Amino acid sequence: MTSALPQMKKVRIMRQTLLTGFLVLGLMPPAVAGSPVQDSQPPSLLVKFAPPKLADIPDDANGKQVLYGRRLVMETARLLPDNVGDVLNCTSCHLGGGMVAGASPFVGQAAASYPRNNARAGHTVTLEQRINGCFQRSMNGKPLPEDSAEMKAMIAYFNWLSAGLPPHAKVEGAGIGKIDKSLMPDPAHGKQIYGAKCAACHGTDGNGLKDAKGNYVFPPLWGDKSFNVGAGMARTYTAAAFVKHNMPIAWGLNAPLGQGGALSDQDAVDVAEYFSHQPRPDFAGKAKDWPNGGKPKDARY
Amino acid sequence: MAKTHWLYAFLVLAATTARAAEAPAAGGMERGAYLARAGDCIACHTAPGGADFAGGLAFDTPVGRIYSTNITPDRETGIGAYTLEDFARAVRQGVAKDGHHLYPAMPYPSYAKVSDADIKALYAYFHDNVAPVKQANRPSAIPMPLGFRFPLAVWDALFLKEGAYRPDPAHDARWNRGAYLVEGLGHCGACHTPRAVTLQEKALSDRDGSTYLSGSKFDGWFAKSLRGNDRDGLGGWSEGDIVTFLKTGTTDRTAAFAGMAEVVQHSSQFLTDDDLEAIAHYLKSLRARQGAPEAPARTIQAAAAPAEDHPSRGGAAYSQYCVTCHRADGGGVPRIFPALAGNDVVETADATSLIHIVLGGGRIAHTMAHPMPFAMPEFTKMDNREVAEVVSFIRTAWGNDAGPVTVDQVAKVRATLGKAEAKP
Repeated sequence: MTSALPQMKKVRIMRQTLLTGFLVLGLMPPAVAGSPVQDSQPPSLLVKFAPPKLADIPDDANGKQVLYGRRLVMETARLLPDNVGDVLNCTSCHLGGGMVAGASPFVGQAAASYPRNNARAGHTVTLEQRINGCFQRSMNGKPLPEDSAEMKAMIAYFNWLSAGLPPHAKVEGAGIGKIDKSLMPDPAHGKQIYGAKCAACHGTDGNGLKDAKGNYVFPPLWGDKSFNVGAGMARTYTAAAFVKHNMPIAWGLNAPLGQGGALSDQDAVDVAEYFSHQPRPDFAGKAKDWPNGGKPKDARY
Repeated sequence: MAKTHWLYAFLVLAATTARAAEAPAAGGMERGAYLARAGDCIACHTAPGGADFAGGLAFDTPVGRIYSTNITPDRETGIGAYTLEDFARAVRQGVAKDGHHLYPAMPYPSYAKVSDADIKALYAYFHDNVAPVKQANRPSAIPMPLGFRFPLAVWDALFLKEGAYRPDPAHDARWNRGAYLVEGLGHCGACHTPRAVTLQEKALSDRDGSTYLSGSKFDGWFAKSLRGNDRDGLGGWSEGDIVTFLKTGTTDRTAAFAGMAEVVQHSSQFLTDDDLEAIAHYLKSLRARQGAPEAPARTIQAAAAPAEDHPSRGGAAYSQYCVTCHRADGGGVPRIFPALAGNDVVETADATSLIHIVLGGGRIAHTMAHPMPFAMPEFTKMDNREVAEVVSFIRTAWGNDAGPVTVDQVAKVRATLGKAEAKP
């Protein structure tokens, strides 16, 4: 997989070796909080967030597979209607197709870095299982067959994004950033925030916004076409961390998305409580979650 | 028109004079305050973080740095000691109370057209309603011998056309009102009309020629043509589009950026619908500039379906960095993210603004109608080659009909931003 880009890989590894040298000399990796699944990994090395460029993808079989995986991530609902039960795409939560720091990037999520411990599942999960968790929860749909061309293409894309990284590297900007979980939510205030700062794109009724062709530009945040209660985004503090650091997009000058920075921690907790607790589909498998305990305080069941 | 009866002409002239000089107040706004909004005085006469109208904003002109002045009614440092005649002379002729000539960064060649009644209302506003601020003016930093101001009198003698706006009897009152606002207080030509080497605007009205409002390179940007029939001007815009744009800073397909976002924010959003409609009506009447093809009656089609594969390195970069907001089909999101397909700023021959906004980012106008001032991120970390590739893609994709840009063009725009190319 990674052999398609030998030259790039070499440069990246050199850069990482240098970085690693500094890190071993005493820099501590920051804690990464609140990704939808609480991944726990062995102690690992912090590497700079430096996704590769789509323009450098070679025009060969592997390149085509990587681009197909990318397209599935960007247009999941349109291309995989049998697996997506709502109208979301992977990129609805993994902004910029998983190439943006702080927006639950796929960089650092290569197949080689799995299996990982997963408290919600109660056992280690493979990357395929992790992806299928999203299909069943955030996309309120059905798992992709693990040997399907689509699953393989998505994993090829993840692997390309992580090419050259050590399997258990901790990537700067992994996850969705932190939020103060001691803050108590005020959903009434959250409703006001929603109207002022969210409704322009996600609609006053949380219905999202479609383009002229009927594809969603901004996903619905509640209702039948939104994620189910089993999704990480249905949890107040996970949603709050995402909103605080990633919403709205096009708010600041920070490339590539200018996302985040519009709300205080308290405002983010309030608005997250408000929208996450609006009516949404149930999750059939919820009784099996957290079989060994460790359920977070904002779990929905 | 040549055969218009003299009596008819006289009647139209009389009617339009009355109309043009009459400035309706918006929403109870005092008339002088309304006119100050229309003239956007605050934009130049207020420094970032400074008191309104107290001056101190720096302008880097081709001959050196100058600062705007204090126009609050403070007697010592502002214009508190100005009589109505002093005020009128400064605004319309560019001569301060003590007799020194102002630098023509002050758009007095345009303000020369402001009526006596409006000057009087503006004077009353600045004298009675603006809070006095004691803040001394900063001296300019224009090197000798250009620092001498006496040549400005010669410049004024050559290029300043005195006299209030004279309504054109060939047009109706609405057109004349629009012309009065655009050519006068609105001073649109200060940015949108090309300047000669001697720095005067090449035309101060359509009567001076079709270079008027035909687009101009300005401060690292290209202020687009506002001529109503230029293809890269307002040829694709309806009068309604122009009104919506000036009121909200956005249309379904585009958004004000850079200096124009500030104009909408500080000035045009406060104008009455009548005045905005007059401006739109006037701009749409301007014929295509000489030598430029008339705009075809083009309706923007929904762009083609997203490409299944990246057609080029630029297309791949677009897919990586731009697609989330501007969408795969270049259609943007109405009123939120500008479309790039069929956008005249994208297609204009001079790509300066497009390159500038990719490198430096920007923010749309914050208006009463649009409380979410979205931003375009700055892509300074992209190297010049990448920017050239992605800008070239945008200018040629989805049926856009503009030429590619070179790495050298990107380097030149980057130099105006003062941000060096990142080392790989």
